Amino acid sequence: MIEEILQKIESAGVIGIKKADLKKTCGKDCEEIIERLQKEEKVFIEKKGVAYFVWTADNYLLHLTENDPKFKLMLNMFAGISNSISRLKEQTHALRQEMEDLNRHGYTEESVDFETEFNKRLCESGTAVGWAPFSKIREKVCQTTNLSKEKFYTLATDLIEKHRERYEISSGGPEGVVVRGLVHGYVRNV
Amino acid sequence: MYAYKLDNNPYPSSPTPTEKDAKILGGNKHKEAKSAILECLKELNEKVRGRDSGDNDFRTITVIQDVGSGKTHLALHIKNLKGRYNSECSFVDLSMISPKTMPSIYNAIIKGFDNDFFVQLRIKFLEYIKERAEQGDVSAKKALDYRFVNKLTGLTIKQKADDIICGKQSVSVENLKEFLVHKFNYYESTFIKNVITNSFESISNLEELLGMISAISKLTQRFLGKITLLEIDEFDGNKDSIEFVKGIINAHLPACVLLLISTPSGYAEIQNINPSVFDRLEKANYKIDLAGSNSIDELAEIIVEYIKHNDKHGKFGAKEEEELCQKIHLLYEEFPEFRNVRSIINILYHAMEKSSDLELEKIDANVIDDAIKQTYPGLRVKGSIMDVPISDFMTIRKNCDECSNEKELKEAVYNLTNFAHMMGNICKLEKQNMPLDVIYQDPFGAKIGIAVVTNLDKSSSLDEISNISKSAVVDKLVILTNQNIPSPSHATIVKVDKSKMVDLIYFNNKYNRKKIVESDNQRAELLARTLSII
Repeated sequence: MIEEILQKIESAGVIGIKKADLKKTCGKDCEEIIERLQKEEKVFIEKKGVAYFVWTADNYLLHLTENDPKFKLMLNMFAGISNSISRLKEQTHALRQEMEDLNRHGYTEESVDFETEFNKRLCESGTAVGWAPFSKIREKVCQTTNLSKEKFYTLATDLIEKHRERYEISSGGPEGVVVRGLVHGYVRNV
Repeated sequence: MYAYKLDNNPYPSSPTPTEKDAKILGGNKHKEAKSAILECLKELNEKVRGRDSGDNDFRTITVIQDVGSGKTHLALHIKNLKGRYNSECSFVDLSMISPKTMPSIYNAIIKGFDNDFFVQLRIKFLEYIKERAEQGDVSAKKALDYRFVNKLTGLTIKQKADDIICGKQSVSVENLKEFLVHKFNYYESTFIKNVITNSFESISNLEELLGMISAISKLTQRFLGKITLLEIDEFDGNKDSIEFVKGIINAHLPACVLLLISTPSGYAEIQNINPSVFDRLEKANYKIDLAGSNSIDELAEIIVEYIKHNDKHGKFGAKEEEELCQKIHLLYEEFPEFRNVRSIINILYHAMEKSSDLELEKIDANVIDDAIKQTYPGLRVKGSIMDVPISDFMTIRKNCDECSNEKELKEAVYNLTNFAHMMGNICKLEKQNMPLDVIYQDPFGAKIGIAVVTNLDKSSSLDEISNISKSAVVDKLVILTNQNIPSPSHATIVKVDKSKMVDLIYFNNKYNRKKIVESDNQRAELLARTLSII
């Protein structure tokens, strides 16, 4: 019964169907069903002249757009706002993308610079067998690059992990990179 | 019977090497280091051959490397070597001497030689006295306690000397002293007397210590035609140790090679405490470089060497070697804990023991997993959300490397969203004909599309996927990928690294086998969030 009523309302389109006509076709019992559908916002009822007309949600929206100037105005305004939000979203996304690219580029440059500086200081600070204390390298690198101690060890850890075949580290010393919970305070080139 | 049909567990169990363990030496770096030390011994040997040694016949070798890299093993291996280029070796572990007084260091040096060394020397010394006695040296005869009565009974000087050598008779200590004092210096006389009587007197200061060691090396060269190798392990910033080593280096012990073993940290201590000794070490004749001794190739070679050495039945072929090396590679890559010889040998020792208990033919991933659980109970796979057991990790990782298994990954993502749907985190939708792998509605009603891209060559649909992000088909597009792909507009790229891939496949395997337990729920949810799936 509900399906039948809904189908009839739907088929009436933008014009809507008179409630009285529905009662004639579906019987007086349909009054209750229409009320329930109205509560569920599946159908909408409006008085036009002396008669009550019924629409489905989509058709009622179209009806209002065509016949109610206030609603039409508000809808246009909303569409404008919606467009603006979309454009804003797009711009934000593009900006974020740009920032990510810049960061990535910046990080790569920073890593390259750090690697060069680190290798230079490692060569300078090493003993005859090549071992150098991290503390000495850190002092020199931080002096020239203005890096903080924490940043230095973050970059040094990344560098050594990335090029495990190139560097060798050894435990002990007052400061260094932490591996297996042990401070490794000495490093050398392999 | 152990894996590969070995009769014994080939791996040592002690945390530091013993002389027995050190008979096997694997790894190119260690073998190169061994060659360099032998080369030094050979060079000095050739130099002093046929003449008395002097001030210029002293060499210093340094081995500076991290703990657990095989320095002590190398030193003990050299000590055990039969073809050691005519040298006698004393191994001294300074960490075992406390307090490090000169008498205790001297005592350790004496104990550091093999017993056989003193037996040989004793014979040579007694033969020397015998020869002198036979040539008519009265004091030599007295030293042997060869009396007129002996002569009357028909006992020859040779027989008397032989009796003393085999312990049937003894020398006259007082007369021996008297004999030696005219032929040798004080320290040499004392040492010869000590060796013959098998009773070593103590020394009291550095001067006496140097005198005695100098006597040992000189007499070793003269009587045995060998040079002396002093291996000093665990040399660090201890003041007494430094004083002793400085004295040895400055004394230019004749026909002697001093091998000093330290760590970079110990070496730095020496540098700070005594720059003068540090400078001498920096100018050592040979600096043994074990660089790369903890590299994966070196570790794999060492591990294989132990098995090959014990493989009497020839069951450890190329295939078995390759399989084992693959497992070692994975352990090395994923666990910093196993990036040194000592730790990896320890794991292999326990794995071998388990292989024997379980009567396995080879070391497999499960046995390694058990060994790790036993020896490193808290160890987890780095970055694993699903708490993947190491054995599963090894199997899955191996397959991940073999090919980028897009199909399996897509299925895993599909099942993970199914799981999230069942848990009520999301509401799965029909994806219809869209080139996406999953579409769902999040709790806020937004429509989310997920696409898995693992192979750029195959993924001709990447453009199609990118187009979706431009349309309004979904509110948000998430692309899961292990590749570096340009980020399409309105799409979120989530990089699926190897550890996440292992997590996903491990989840998928459990999900398909209906083995997901309650404790997995939270982990699976976290995995889904990490991958921006929910």
